[in-house]
Amino acid sequence: MTKSEQLQAISNAVIEGELDDAVEATKAALSENIDPMDILNEGLMTGADEVGKRFERFEYFLPELMLAGRALKGAMEEVKPALLSKYAGATNQVQGKVVSATVQTDIHDIGKNIVSSMLTASGFEVTDMGVDVPLKSIIDKAEEIGADVICLSALLTTSMPFMKDLIKLLEARGIREKYIVLVGGASVNETWAKAIGSDGTAKNAADAVKLAREKVQARK
Amino acid sequence: MLNYLEILDRANDGTYLTEENWDLEKVAMTARRLVKKYKLEWNKDELITDDAQLSEAIWKAGYEMAVELGAYSRSTERIIQLSQDEIDNGIRNMPQEVVMGEGKDARTLYARHLHDERAPLFFGGSPGTPIPERIFLANVMSYMQEPLIDLATCGTLVEVDGREVRTGNPIEIVSTRRELQYMRQGLKRVGRAGMGMLAAQSSVSELGDLAAAHPDYLRKCDSHLVPVLNELKMDHRNISRAVNSLEYGMVNASLPCVIVGGLGGGPAGSAVVNVASYLVANITCLADYHILHPIHVRHVATSTREVLWVINATAQAFARHAPSIIVSDIYPKSGAGTKELLYETAANAIVNAVSGGHLEGVGAADGNAPNCSGLEARLMAEVALATHRMKMSLKDANQFVLQLLPKYEHVFTQDGNPGKPFDEVYDTVSVTPLDFWQKMYDEVKTELKEMGLQL
Repeated sequence: MTKSEQLQAISNAVIEGELDDAVEATKAALSENIDPMDILNEGLMTGADEVGKRFERFEYFLPELMLAGRALKGAMEEVKPALLSKYAGATNQVQGKVVSATVQTDIHDIGKNIVSSMLTASGFEVTDMGVDVPLKSIIDKAEEIGADVICLSALLTTSMPFMKDLIKLLEARGIREKYIVLVGGASVNETWAKAIGSDGTAKNAADAVKLAREKVQARK
Repeated sequence: MLNYLEILDRANDGTYLTEENWDLEKVAMTARRLVKKYKLEWNKDELITDDAQLSEAIWKAGYEMAVELGAYSRSTERIIQLSQDEIDNGIRNMPQEVVMGEGKDARTLYARHLHDERAPLFFGGSPGTPIPERIFLANVMSYMQEPLIDLATCGTLVEVDGREVRTGNPIEIVSTRRELQYMRQGLKRVGRAGMGMLAAQSSVSELGDLAAAHPDYLRKCDSHLVPVLNELKMDHRNISRAVNSLEYGMVNASLPCVIVGGLGGGPAGSAVVNVASYLVANITCLADYHILHPIHVRHVATSTREVLWVINATAQAFARHAPSIIVSDIYPKSGAGTKELLYETAANAIVNAVSGGHLEGVGAADGNAPNCSGLEARLMAEVALATHRMKMSLKDANQFVLQLLPKYEHVFTQDGNPGKPFDEVYDTVSVTPLDFWQKMYDEVKTELKEMGLQL
């Protein structure tokens, strides 16, 4: 296979959500000495972008996003060591670590899952803590893994105040500046996101990925 | 009927499975397989189908999914397996009639059949919408006073006495009881004290729900929500709502909000998941009736083509094969003070009325803002009753809806269409629509009449 075909195979495996194929195609490309940065950008990310576009067009649904996320995560495990050895620190320049959670008392997870899957499929390292997560646990996890971004989700208007509480808790602990705090949910809008002192919100998952990328890159 | 303690035992002792595997390996994969097996396809131009074979196929696929999967306990990460006999018993035992309310205001909800001779009933209110306390009473009265409204529902109080309500906080008890106090007060003030309610909407966790199970708040003749989590999941918090009402005796309304474009995939798979959700909810929610409220994964609204199709497919599947009491939520994208809200409401009302549902609404502006009023609920009831009086065929109903869609579909490609808050479309003292809002309603009603709707 030519280099272009090999990268296409990686991209296709992500688009089809085939974990084993994505891993195998990535291994094959590495064994052919294809530049790991090309594997990342022209293989994995190209596939991830296409998945995002199909989701926006209502051709792909949540399962396809989740499967693509799985495939990308598996392939990233293969490509990451090669990237690190060839481009020291490069992976940290193109992606960030994210802790995502639906805040305490709220058990809605679809919106968070979509954003988590899109972030994963876009090369972020996402620790998804699930739903109804206590604020203290979210902060502790962010500290533990050295997160760049904390993504908070709440569908319920009566759970949204806990996002504000988390920011106040970060301030009280003196670590607010360490994190980009992004908030989302059906009732969350820009005015509210600004009022509670977050770093922003997005109206859909694709914009959330863009926002996270911009914010992380602006810090580096 | 399955002893409820048995359900709890199964939640504790069932097969262990991670939630991600339940979502992907069980729900998503089963939906995909069943859509292929039964050759299910949605049609963006046939939102109300008169294809009995398609309806039967959707019913069979949903039934197969319920028997195969059962439910999942998120609290214990275990599968609550249900046998085919138990699913069948659940169908047989579904109430065919439920009396809600009391005295002269009592109404009997019934299991609707396709082309039922009896008219649908109407719940008036904007269910679950955040409403400030200062306008809460006037807002609920704007629905309760509408003569065509049979039953009352309401939004969620987001603050009490100036304090922000937080779920699971003691203030949730205060807000839920306060909501019920306003509801009971409103019913008295419009002279319909005995009207039945679907309320305790301010109870997001089980706290408020348990605190409201008292004759001064939710009476035994009222109903409350027992949600099914996305998809086919329960947790102990929500099971507590059902268990609490076992002895108290409130009416249980199951609420699966199936995400169209979520784990079930597109509209066809989502309809299968919705059918399965009701069959499971018969047992796990001890449901007396079901709320039909699919949500669009991107647009939320129930007035999108995809969601209208799922509403029709799900309600028809039950109306044809296992009549059950289904109450269909109307949640348009647009808010009060916009014509689009009225077009969306009309389209939704037609679909719901001919598909075998009762109607609830209107959760205007996606239920995200207090931009809702009794006027759009009036139109919801008028349109549904017109379709019923006209004995509208499924084919004709589809044509009406197709004519309405171009009048509002642009709201899905723009940045919402939220309209105005209740106190900017109604005089909150006299509880009457402001002139501009009344005029919009009159104009849209004239348009609907010109389209052939016998309003």
